[in-house]
Amino acid sequence: MPSIVFIVDDSATILMSMEAILHKAGFTVDKAASGEEAVTKLQGGLKPNMIITDIHMPGMSGIDLIRKVRTMPGIQFIPILVVTTESQQAKRDEARAAKATGWLVKPVQPDDLLKVVKQILPNG
Amino acid sequence: MTSPVTTGGTAPSGTAERPARLLRAIAVAVALAGSAAAVVLALGGGELALALVSLTSLGGVAIGYVLGREDGPMPGAIRMLMFRVADELAQYRAFTKLLRDQGERITESTGGAASVIVSGLTEMDANVDRLRAKVDETEELRSLVEAIGAPVVDMLGQLQFQDVTQQQIAFLSRLSLIVDQHMIDLAKQLGDRRSMDRVGNFKEMFNKALDDCVMTSQREDHHAAAGIDLQEAGGPKIEMF
Repeated sequence: MPSIVFIVDDSATILMSMEAILHKAGFTVDKAASGEEAVTKLQGGLKPNMIITDIHMPGMSGIDLIRKVRTMPGIQFIPILVVTTESQQAKRDEARAAKATGWLVKPVQPDDLLKVVKQILPNG
Repeated sequence: MTSPVTTGGTAPSGTAERPARLLRAIAVAVALAGSAAAVVLALGGGELALALVSLTSLGGVAIGYVLGREDGPMPGAIRMLMFRVADELAQYRAFTKLLRDQGERITESTGGAASVIVSGLTEMDANVDRLRAKVDETEELRSLVEAIGAPVVDMLGQLQFQDVTQQQIAFLSRLSLIVDQHMIDLAKQLGDRRSMDRVGNFKEMFNKALDDCVMTSQREDHHAAAGIDLQEAGGPKIEMF
């Protein structure tokens, strides 16, 4: 059964393009356009194998989402990858402190994205 | 367009004394005329008193005119200049709003176009996969199908430019709002020279905007604009914690 990757980003372009790239690589993809929508889906029973989130989103930020997920029983240990235009070291440190799994700066080459995702989910 | 200038403040230095001097001169002239007329009237010279009042009043007007010629035009000219600067500032605000509106339109149009392109590429990719499954007769045809489908994933990746551009435009909008606020402050201060010292300076405001900078390139642009030679370490594009 393919792994589920949950993408959270307020950009429709990012959601669609990442979904296409990951889907082509054999992953099942679920999406949310905001941190709040992501939390609702997760609280509703979605159990992804991995989350990919943006940092800067209207409302709940990606960092807040990571912090929230890390308190949710059953999914608190799933890998969370940050994919963002943000490149400030302080923000990286903030993400690291929130227990993000890794950090990718947009635009991400599809090969790089797949390499990192497959590193985290080696069984696809 | 209404001018945001406030006119109730203290006039610029040097102009405040001139109306007072003028008023004093007129008051003295009127007082002298009144006194002379009263004395003449007491002595029984009604016609002469009337003539004195008229004459001295005309003298007061003449003195006022002379003083006015010397001191009057400057405050008016300065005031007009201040109004004009305030008007210009207001027009700059309209200009920056235009820039923001344009930015929003760029974001909307590129966002819509990027979505259509992603959908098209995804569909094309699916069709290439279906074609690939059916083509097994000749190696050449199979290679051709592979070649058609090969760039699709990279093209999908490149479409992230839209999100990056959107954030760059949003940053410019935030900067222009700061400039707008500064222009409003400046326009308000035009009638009060003492308040000019209290107007926040651009450097501080742009530093505040840095809080919203998400990209190293934006921060470097800011440093360059501020005359700071600072190359910031942006960190690796991929980092596993």
